[in-house]
Amino acid sequence: MTARSSRRARLLTGVLLLPASLWYLLLLVAPIVIIVVFSFGNSGPTGGYAGGFTTDHYADLIANNIDPLITSLRLSVIGTVLCLLVGLPLAYYIATRAGRRKGLFIVLLVVPFWTSFLIRTYAWLTILGPEGLGGFIGGITGDDSFRILGTDWAVQLGLVYGYLPLMVFPLYVTLERMDRTLVEASKDLGAGRWATFRQITLPIALPGLITGSILVFIPMMGEYVIPNILGYGRVFTVGSSLVLTFLESRDWPGGSAQAVVLVAIMLVSVTFYVWFINRGRRGRDVSIL
Amino acid sequence: MADQDLDSILRRMSQTQVNRRGFMAGGAMAGMAALVAACTGGSKATDAPASAAAPSTPPASAAASEMAAASVEPVFSQEPTEGHLWMYNWSDYIDPGNIKEFQKRYAVDDWTYDTYASNEELLTKLQAGAGGQWDVGAPTAEFTPALVQGGFIQKIDWSKVPNAKYIDKQFKGLWWDPKDEYQMPKDWGTTGIAVRTKYVTEDVSSWKNFFDVAPKYSGKIVIVDSPGDVFVAPLKALGYSLNSVDPTELSKARDLLMALAPHVLALDSDQYQKKLQTGEAVLGLTWTGGLDGLIQDPKTADTKYIIPSDGTLYWLDTWVIFANPPHPIAAHAFLNFIEEPAIQAQETITNAYATPNDEAKKLVPQKILDDPTIFVPQAIFDSGLLESAKDVSTDKNRVAIWKEFKSSIGKK
Repeated sequence: MTARSSRRARLLTGVLLLPASLWYLLLLVAPIVIIVVFSFGNSGPTGGYAGGFTTDHYADLIANNIDPLITSLRLSVIGTVLCLLVGLPLAYYIATRAGRRKGLFIVLLVVPFWTSFLIRTYAWLTILGPEGLGGFIGGITGDDSFRILGTDWAVQLGLVYGYLPLMVFPLYVTLERMDRTLVEASKDLGAGRWATFRQITLPIALPGLITGSILVFIPMMGEYVIPNILGYGRVFTVGSSLVLTFLESRDWPGGSAQAVVLVAIMLVSVTFYVWFINRGRRGRDVSIL
Repeated sequence: MADQDLDSILRRMSQTQVNRRGFMAGGAMAGMAALVAACTGGSKATDAPASAAAPSTPPASAAASEMAAASVEPVFSQEPTEGHLWMYNWSDYIDPGNIKEFQKRYAVDDWTYDTYASNEELLTKLQAGAGGQWDVGAPTAEFTPALVQGGFIQKIDWSKVPNAKYIDKQFKGLWWDPKDEYQMPKDWGTTGIAVRTKYVTEDVSSWKNFFDVAPKYSGKIVIVDSPGDVFVAPLKALGYSLNSVDPTELSKARDLLMALAPHVLALDSDQYQKKLQTGEAVLGLTWTGGLDGLIQDPKTADTKYIIPSDGTLYWLDTWVIFANPPHPIAAHAFLNFIEEPAIQAQETITNAYATPNDEAKKLVPQKILDDPTIFVPQAIFDSGLLESAKDVSTDKNRVAIWKEFKSSIGKK
């Protein structure tokens, strides 16, 4: 009886997981395998992939193409930290202090998503442009050549603006479920604000913090549209480099090699990040989870 | 009154912002135009260009319109179409009124319009196996050989496109398709120099001048984000072919480009006209799209488009039928329809690019024919200054130089 029902349960699990398995197999595993294979091949004379085996593309990448990776990494790390600095207090406020206005704040966070991402990014062109903030500051300081658009600052701002909600939502969800009596208990036992935050709130928020950071960091790493529009093509990122290699030069193997390295860097940095955050948690005397 | 204002705004938007090579701007503008139209409840948006253009048509062309009206009669026994037409084209590159007319006349209920931002994108998609999704496309002529080689386009059955007879002979029998089997010319134009003469006082009439004055206008130069166009400037300034793949010539061109890179404000194919409009950029290596609107606006009437005297690139976009199209009858019917003089004239008025259709030109207002940003003066065309592009974008040296240039923009 039990053997049969457990077999049925296993079967049911298999059937239910089938769509997701197929989805990931076809749209994640297969493309990655293709990219890895392509990255070791030759380019065809009119572009595309022409088979063969060579490691030239990786050698070329290391020799000539490290700068865009470093630029993207810098923008994404700073962007993630900024999202965290802005997002954590915001999520904390909405989750614990906003009271009846909680729903309103959530809606306000979601509203921008109703407009196309592209149009919102173009809107920044006007806000920061010569007829907007950039021109205003230039006018005040009398510096005619002052500019916000086309600098790292504009790109950084655009990235934080674009991805902030993805940091706030997971943080909000974890903080919202937090048992407030734990904070009271901590204070009763004599812990100050900082100690309470560090030992109670932060560990509880940790899963949200990890999820949020990953949700923000990964798309920032591959971001193409924001650097291209707000950076005026002066901020040359991995995304720019991929577009240049795949589309403008039609060099699929070269582009694949860059994509493989990008995926590898993301895997390594995310793994390290999760390990680093969890390491701190394990070493703590007071465990709340 | 308010409606009229809206009309003129929408028309201005369609003329200044629409850029054949700019999908992002195109998409954004289309969205905003839709928003504006929705707010005012106006279906006027699409009718605006037609109604606005009508009064300015010179009386001399009345006879021609009659003739055009006559050609509306089906010239061959009209085969019923499949009722579908799937197009793959640059963004906003066809008059919306003409689309409606075609749908009505040929009972095409299902019209889809997918867009690409570059010929490279089109080719990449087809190489990746995206064929069979579209009937008709409009790549640039120099890509014809690659499209034929890949088996991505098929021969056009000219017996079904009698209106092709209106196409100007100077666009026939060219190197990309010597027997004119695969493509039908659509629009053509040049790559050149845009100048705000209010700010740039020097005479910039050649690419050589362009490089000479660049340092003086450091941080105020906009350049289209397209290697095939950017290489034109240094190669022509040095007196070489713009299609050169000679390593020595390219290395000299590289030096000119790298000297230019620190002074460039932006690489921008979508919004260069906006940057010239605000004066953020005063000098540009650009296409003609959108400049017409600046010249007509009193505030930016000092904008000038220059066809450089040391020669430049001319491009020709061409209608093609993809290999094994899902709807071949509708595809041929469309090609014939679009070359009807009255229909083609409306295309020219809406898209603001030169038509190669001789009969259609007779129906286009003289003001547009005389506008150098739209129609290249015949004298320049005959001078041999213009050179068509070859597909050299995969050349190793060019790829390396382009990458070096692109990653050095604005870095001193």
